[in-house]
Amino acid sequence: MSARYGMVIDLDRCTGCGSCMMACASENNVPPLPQATARTGLTPMLVRKASNGMEGGARREVFIPIMCMHCEHETPCVKVCPQQAVEVDKATGIVMQMPQRCLGCRYCMTACPYHARYFNWWDPAWPKGMEKSLNPGVASRMRGVVEKCNMCHARLHTAKEKAAAAGKREIDLADYVPACVEACPTGAIRFGNLADPNDAASKEARSPEAFRLLARIGTEPKVYYKSKEAWVRALAESKSGSVPEVKRVEAGHAEVQHG
Amino acid sequence: MKVSRRDLLVWSAGAAAGLIVTPVPWKLLDDTSIWSQNWPWIPQPTRGPVEMKQSVCTLCPQGCGMRVRMAAGWPVGVAGVSSHPVSRGALCPLGFGAHQLNWHPQRLKTVRHRGGASAWGDAQAAFAKACKEGPVVVIDGYPGRAASSMLESFAQKHDGGYRVVLSAETRALTPYEKWSGVPASALGYDLENAKTIVSFGAPLLDGWGAPGRFTRLWAERAAGMNDPQLRLIQVDESLSRTASRAWQWVPVRASAESALAAGVARVLLEERLVAWRGPMPSLTLAEAAERTGLSADAIRDLARTIVARTPAVAIGNGIDPEIAALNVVLGAAATPGGIVRRSKRGAAYVPADAAMPSVRAALIDASVPWDFAPQTDAEVFRFAAWDGGSSRADWLLPAPGFLEELMDVPTAPTLAAETYAIAPSLTKPPAEVQSAAQFLGGIDPSLTPVDKIIHSRCGNLFHARAGTLIGREATPVAKIASAQALEEQLQKGAVWVGEAARPGGWRCELKEWPAAASGPPENLTATWSAPVLPPLATKLYQESSLREMPARRNA
Amino acid sequence: MSRNTLVFGFGVAVALVVGWIGFPRALYVRQSQPVEFLHKTHAEKSGVADCGECHALREDGAYGGIPAMEKCAGCHSERIGESKAEATLVDSFIKPGRETPWLVYSRQPANVWFSHAIHVKHGGLTCTECHASYGMTDQVKVYEVNRISGYSRDIWGHSMSRLRRAPHEGMKMTDCEDCHRRRNVEVGCLGCHE
Repeated sequence: MSARYGMVIDLDRCTGCGSCMMACASENNVPPLPQATARTGLTPMLVRKASNGMEGGARREVFIPIMCMHCEHETPCVKVCPQQAVEVDKATGIVMQMPQRCLGCRYCMTACPYHARYFNWWDPAWPKGMEKSLNPGVASRMRGVVEKCNMCHARLHTAKEKAAAAGKREIDLADYVPACVEACPTGAIRFGNLADPNDAASKEARSPEAFRLLARIGTEPKVYYKSKEAWVRALAESKSGSVPEVKRVEAGHAEVQHG
Repeated sequence: MKVSRRDLLVWSAGAAAGLIVTPVPWKLLDDTSIWSQNWPWIPQPTRGPVEMKQSVCTLCPQGCGMRVRMAAGWPVGVAGVSSHPVSRGALCPLGFGAHQLNWHPQRLKTVRHRGGASAWGDAQAAFAKACKEGPVVVIDGYPGRAASSMLESFAQKHDGGYRVVLSAETRALTPYEKWSGVPASALGYDLENAKTIVSFGAPLLDGWGAPGRFTRLWAERAAGMNDPQLRLIQVDESLSRTASRAWQWVPVRASAESALAAGVARVLLEERLVAWRGPMPSLTLAEAAERTGLSADAIRDLARTIVARTPAVAIGNGIDPEIAALNVVLGAAATPGGIVRRSKRGAAYVPADAAMPSVRAALIDASVPWDFAPQTDAEVFRFAAWDGGSSRADWLLPAPGFLEELMDVPTAPTLAAETYAIAPSLTKPPAEVQSAAQFLGGIDPSLTPVDKIIHSRCGNLFHARAGTLIGREATPVAKIASAQALEEQLQKGAVWVGEAARPGGWRCELKEWPAAASGPPENLTATWSAPVLPPLATKLYQESSLREMPARRNA
Repeated sequence: MSRNTLVFGFGVAVALVVGWIGFPRALYVRQSQPVEFLHKTHAEKSGVADCGECHALREDGAYGGIPAMEKCAGCHSERIGESKAEATLVDSFIKPGRETPWLVYSRQPANVWFSHAIHVKHGGLTCTECHASYGMTDQVKVYEVNRISGYSRDIWGHSMSRLRRAPHEGMKMTDCEDCHRRRNVEVGCLGCHE
């Protein structure tokens, strides 16, 4: 009965628009941080750009949405947390972060191979009155704690409650659609239960064009990517032997440098 | 009995030992930890029942269907409407933060006159005086609405002009006005039936038309396919987002799109790859190759590729007569899969940036993009819900903000059929705001108000017995029981879609090859017309390196 | 007994008195509900027998909690009784259209997700198992707020030592965990937290 919720992101469809980033921030009550930069920003969903390294007419680019990969095996952040503020939920596979237990040591941020965790450098603040627009299902965090994508578990809760009210034990997956999945205009992000062999996302994850980032380090992420372009698939594990570094720069675009 | 220091120490030790077996230290620990996690300055969401309401985003003329989650009467989240025929469930990235706009720190709350605070009474008096003293021009950024009809009626009654800021996508269709007599706002692109689309710099997958209009079509028919049903050829100076995902990217030198269009047209005509016969572009193939940076062979290949799968249509970025002429050559003008006439409207709008005659005052509606500056010394009455900064308007008048007023949604730019929808207001506007239409209605009570115009438009739609109402299901209008029922459905989020344009219905005559385009290309990703960006846009522009802040010229 | 022992014992005694009697009195402040609502009166006079008639699950499964003012207005749009409490209700809240700011005994922090639907429908819990016979009381339950944490005394439970408390007393996380352990329902952090 336990599920493994995961995603398959079709990189051939992602246009890098950023709708998923906005929808995620809105759903999770992430404060707008006009004082932040690309280094200190709070973006549980972040779209990065990578290229094939060539210039001129031969250049190709791809946009890669990155969020918590919800690693299943030896989950790095779970292993290092001194507070046990994060755990892999047995029933859903979601890596659940409890910001209220976090003491802000940021060890998990160092441990995460995907740079998918973000620190609240400032207290969340909204312009006066804007608190009325906060999503009721999601609690605010305070400064000094780490947060990350939580697979829109508030929507999972709503789906569970709806199922319970109707007397059902299993949720209807149509009721549990994370914000980024709902927002994507090309349908690039697909969501489903990877434990269910009949689930559409589960089938796509098993297709030959599907891959995971840094699969060789063995964290078993539940977010898969998919592309028919070989150079895109090669980005996940640098062919030349060194780990591709994604440089975040203060201004300009992030580029994947091949070693 | 003398109390010594030792007594005090022993007593304290006893007290400490005693305290340990009381709740004091344990409860205090527990309570202070709770206290330290509940700082009063950290805002918490409202508790209350959540309901879903449906409306239409009115922040730009595309009119995307929008589902809004409301809690305690305030919008707390937005999502698209998958059954919506225009947006097909998508919203633009900025739309996802739109529900927070009404609290933007730059929200206009009071009337401002030349930098100082003023009042509605003064503004009304000044405007009424201006109307008596000379002609008044009214500028509308979102033509076709019921409010637009009020603005237009007022302008006509007061000898002024009614001018319109057309969306960039519609402006690109203006060359056809001269060749066919049909106004640009009556034309649309029948992309649903096209097999090849050549975009000359138009960001079809990133800001052109409604967010879901082309992206969904492309996702269904081209994304990730080796031999797509819809071939997207993107002509772009650098690898834009659309070029990155296109079936073919044709890199050209900056501002050479026109030259490429002329070169392609020349090849099509010289090699008789098309049925059309007519004037040849003056540019030779060698000249086109020189200007674009492509070889003559590359241009020939491109021409052949374009007509390999027809219908083929060209889409330009900005007003480019040569690209429009290419469409005529391709046979895309007035045929399915190309440019079609969707409405019977005969009169062209006067563009707002055309030369302005001398007027006494200009009234600018809140829908006009913030960086539009009228070329006039007249007294400017500028309506806006937010202060975008650096305005040179004499009067800044606070207008209703996001989903704060009832609006209707006319046919979106670029569509091949007419559409109509209603965007109900979901929150009450603050007391101090008034829309331009309401303002004019106050000055001239003979003008029909917006809600009555909408009501009569619904009546007209019903009596015409044409088209389909698309809500949860699609119902032909002929099967709807009454005008009232039609209006109710529209209020609940249904969209009326007119019949698909019949082939023919208008004809394009190209007597001579047009001169090249003048003026810079449009920056479509920056045509968000609200004066301010939603607060969460910092995620895209500052907290990540995904996008560069759009360059905005302030009025 | 030596003098030291006496003094020590005196210290212990003072600490015990302060800790068990003085401390709770100082820590909690009594607050009164905006309207003195008597459950029993309503049950008897208006024939409302089931908790769910006012405290119902909504269609989407969310819990309605304390009913909104419009439920009260269903009968009390005008005064139908003589009591001062009703006068306050009608004059201060129903007529001006203001929601009554009830003090909620079981209010949990924002990061707690408790689903009545799941506990009632899947868990088979009845109202009285957590809320005792509150529905039949003929007195307004006293609301005491903890000065430091800001939450109701009912969360910790009335008993300061948390020993010998009634099954429904206390709504701290450990109380939830105890019941889950007894009934063998495993949830994990995700099951209860936002």
